[in-house]
Amino acid sequence: MGIGIDITEVSRIKSLAEKHEQFLTRVYTEKEINYCNKKKNKYQHYAARFAAKESVLKALGVGWSQEIKWTDIEVVNEPSGKPRINTYGKVKRLMEQKEVKEILISLSHTSHHAIASAQLIKGE
Amino acid sequence: MDEKVIYEKVKESVVEALGVDEEEVTPSAVLFDDLGAESLDLLDIVFRLEKEFGIKIPRGGIQAEALSAEGESLKEEDLVVDGVLTPLGIEKLKMVMPEVDPARITEGFRADDIPTLFTVQTFVNITKKLVEDKEKAG
Repeated sequence: MGIGIDITEVSRIKSLAEKHEQFLTRVYTEKEINYCNKKKNKYQHYAARFAAKESVLKALGVGWSQEIKWTDIEVVNEPSGKPRINTYGKVKRLMEQKEVKEILISLSHTSHHAIASAQLIKGE
Repeated sequence: MDEKVIYEKVKESVVEALGVDEEEVTPSAVLFDDLGAESLDLLDIVFRLEKEFGIKIPRGGIQAEALSAEGESLKEEDLVVDGVLTPLGIEKLKMVMPEVDPARITEGFRADDIPTLFTVQTFVNITKKLVEDKEKAG
């Protein structure tokens, strides 16, 4: 089992995205970018997703040697609006190694901060 | 490329990303403790250096060198167990980060906390290595 939590300042994400053109494409998948860009307060959604990725990495206890990409972790929303985690590449392999069946995620944000909590669910 | 040139650019990036005074930025200054950086600031510095030198600094790239050092075939579990560095992990980390005061890497040190060790010189070293790799690759 494992849990992870992260808090991210919305203004910091906005400023990184505005200053560095590579920020969004390095950190977010195309699906995430499309989702956030449709939102009125898009940087709150970007910040929540950044916090989600960091909380998942903490929950997995990602070590120092793995060159993991942020885009290996994707937050998608079910039709109900509930967020769900998709994993790819090294993170997906790490989940298999650790026999993690699912990663539960909970997000919340205000105009200033976004917070995320991740929990690993072990499979049979 | 001359290390002095790289240092000056790293210094400029740190000053701009953190909004600190130039005098505060020395090779041994610790980003978190001495210059007040937070984790997203590291990303800001990384992106500035990438743009400046045309390189790509991967997430975890600085730490990843420990495993590839000297062609040793070390595995993750030799160095880190349950997020905590093993004695061998501590030894290797001190070796790949000679710019860090070894007294700061003590028993029970967590791999997650490695970024708190980063100094201005850490960024000079990784940039220098990536620039050299790029030059070698032609």
